[in-house]
Amino acid sequence: MARHALHRLLLAVPVLFGVLLLGFLLMQVVPTDPATVRAGPTATPEVIAAIRSDLGLDRPLWEQFGRYLWRLGQGDLGVSIINNVAVTQELGATVGPTLELMLASLFWSIPLGILLGTLAAYWRGSIFDRAVMAVAVACATVPVFFLALLLIWFVGFKWQLLPFTGRGGPLWTLDGLKAVALPAIALGGTFIGPVARMTRTAVLDVLGADHVRTARAKGLGERAVVLRHALRNALIPVVTLIGLQIGFLLGGAVVTETVFSWPGVGRLAVGAILSSDFPMAQGTILVLSLGFILVNLSVDMIYAALDPRMRAA
Amino acid sequence: MRRTVNAALLALPALLPPLWGASAQAPGRNTLVVMREIDADNYDPPRSTARGAGEVAYMLSDTLVSLDWDQKTVRPGLAESWTVSEDGKLYTFKLRRGVTFCDGKPFTARDVAYTVTRWADPATRSPVRWRAGPVKEVRAVDDHTVEYELNEPYGELLYQLTLFFGSMVDQATVEKLGQNHGVQGFNGTGPYCWASWTPRQELVMTRHPNYNWGPPIYQNPSPQVERIVWRVVPEANTRLAGLQTGQGDVTQYIPYFALPQLRAVPSVKLSKQENYFWDHFMGFKVDKPVVNDPAVRRAVNLAVNRAAIAQAAFFGAATPADAYLNPNVAGFDPEAAKMVPSFNPDEARKVLDEAGWKPGPDGVRVKDGQRASFVVYAISTQIARVQSEAIQADLRRVGVEMRIQLWDATVAWGKLATQEFDAFFMSYPYISATDAFALYFDSRNRPTPNRMNWVDPETDRLLAEAKTALDPAVRERAIAGAQRRVSEANVWLPLAREQLWVASGPRVEGVRAHGIYGIGLYKGLDIRLTR
Repeated sequence: MARHALHRLLLAVPVLFGVLLLGFLLMQVVPTDPATVRAGPTATPEVIAAIRSDLGLDRPLWEQFGRYLWRLGQGDLGVSIINNVAVTQELGATVGPTLELMLASLFWSIPLGILLGTLAAYWRGSIFDRAVMAVAVACATVPVFFLALLLIWFVGFKWQLLPFTGRGGPLWTLDGLKAVALPAIALGGTFIGPVARMTRTAVLDVLGADHVRTARAKGLGERAVVLRHALRNALIPVVTLIGLQIGFLLGGAVVTETVFSWPGVGRLAVGAILSSDFPMAQGTILVLSLGFILVNLSVDMIYAALDPRMRAA
Repeated sequence: MRRTVNAALLALPALLPPLWGASAQAPGRNTLVVMREIDADNYDPPRSTARGAGEVAYMLSDTLVSLDWDQKTVRPGLAESWTVSEDGKLYTFKLRRGVTFCDGKPFTARDVAYTVTRWADPATRSPVRWRAGPVKEVRAVDDHTVEYELNEPYGELLYQLTLFFGSMVDQATVEKLGQNHGVQGFNGTGPYCWASWTPRQELVMTRHPNYNWGPPIYQNPSPQVERIVWRVVPEANTRLAGLQTGQGDVTQYIPYFALPQLRAVPSVKLSKQENYFWDHFMGFKVDKPVVNDPAVRRAVNLAVNRAAIAQAAFFGAATPADAYLNPNVAGFDPEAAKMVPSFNPDEARKVLDEAGWKPGPDGVRVKDGQRASFVVYAISTQIARVQSEAIQADLRRVGVEMRIQLWDATVAWGKLATQEFDAFFMSYPYISATDAFALYFDSRNRPTPNRMNWVDPETDRLLAEAKTALDPAVRERAIAGAQRRVSEANVWLPLAREQLWVASGPRVEGVRAHGIYGIGLYKGLDIRLTR
């Protein structure tokens, strides 16, 4: 298992380097000039040139990337060229809220998705099954911003039940819980559909398998058959899907954070890109990519734990 | 199995009542939450041109002089009074006594000298350095007297000194924080003091306990609110809902489509500034083919229905611009305004016909093998999109083709500094006629902000005279002359004048829209919370 983990970790290194290089080059090919943005619309070319020189943007590309890698090796992601704040400082302040939002979303959507999928499979063809699948399709197709605006309109505005403008505090406080509720529902809502559908399909496959028939023949109760023999085996594709979906969830977090003014990495990334803040944008790309790599690594590990055949692969 | 599932389904909603029962998150007592669309890059007054920086800077510090609600009359600020020498090169300011910085340090003339010298110093990299005027030296005569000496007269100086770029800074704090001044901290003389800033999220300020030297335009010389939180809420719908549910108290970032709805909400109060100088226009590069023909520029001015654009792009919450400047601004010339053509498509066709632009096979006019077609650049916003499409349709009707290229905000300013386009859309704030015209029409300001490449020695001479003449009447005549020259040549297509609305929630009183440099609250000294 440890060897398997090490192997996967080593594979992540070139991926990470590729992300760094791509992130850097993407910022360069965008036809924008941070010095112009920073100087404002009425600045003269002399002022813009001076700011460009101050920011080191007049140096050759390879030199800029080399300096970036060198600093990165020392744990220094640079400073924002817009507000001079250390990138690590801003990331440090925003990673927590994004993790909170992700955890809160997953906390309710994964169990509910698996539960609904399992029940739909168990009562296959029933009205419940059809209703769950209809909801699942709706959840999978409704854009997160639309769901977010609906929640703001009804729950936040019309009924005034929950706040929707920013973070209320740490997740373990009542204010924190109240503030995260709507963004988490919006973000998690898009997650339920795929999880429920995949669970239903996987459970249905397994329920028809020989070992389940054998378990029933041995006289096991339905609960034990479904939970112990069907669901566990059905979880392998579900876990894979969850891993992939978390990546999309990171993308959804960018929108959710903007709509709910949630102070997370996604919103930071949008702000950095819109203001041509290269170091900050590269920092957020790095963090989001790291998150994606870590999630995939975790999925690999869980996969290996669930299916020993994977460890040998 | 079925029992377990049923139990789980029942348990799920049981987790939620504590949340449902709780009321929505509301700002604390005596904390005003101001919602805005975007944050500023930094809060060091001379280093940022962002409106967001000005909103905060006016509250964190003071300027030497202040501006009245009419946006014309200069009032005392930190300077109680001032005199101007006969040659117009020396301004002597008498400062208020008893003024302190937030850290308790007394404010003196040396602070003024330091602030202005730093603003005008090229090393500060201030994009608005020119606004300080042709500074020769600013010196402290004694603790309460400042001499502001210029290399040449500058009639705009007092107006420029009302802008937040000249907000007083504390030398010790600037030197301690360096590039992080206005990022990690700020020590000013304003009604509120810097508490914290989380970039792109919120800036918190607390009441300056000693402050009682607010500008005379307010009923209260001191702030009425203990704490102000400037919260960034990027989504317009979220801001509007937040205002109505009490999660935010004030905002000036109201989408135009929402104004009629907000007017109908009894709990929301709206304040409008009639004297608001933020205009939209289309500028022509006067040395590029097609638009270098004065007849084409005149025809474009005649062909475009500005009233329809104000309705379509601004939902009626903008005034169609029938002149280059707002009639209420200092230095406005009514004669120049009359030179701006009014909507008359038939006249536009006649002008083009007489200039030799004949309809081509595809309906677009042609002259000497040149199609009447030009490219316009703009920042990609909803307003620019609607505005440009409406103009495109209007021009097509008179046989002129306008090709639209919208750019994302991240690349737009770079693109607008090039010579790739023939015309461009822009909007801008100004404080006086000379402020606006000297910035945009001085030939030395090419390629930006004089993106029109307008080179006219007479305009330059008039602008120089408008800035430097000692006699106010001469200055007024000069800026009127500049307006006439530019209006006559149709260098721009004036489009719309924005309106400033500031909305406040049910527990807020005393909000009045000001509008200096696009800033709604200015010092906000009369704002108070009722609960």
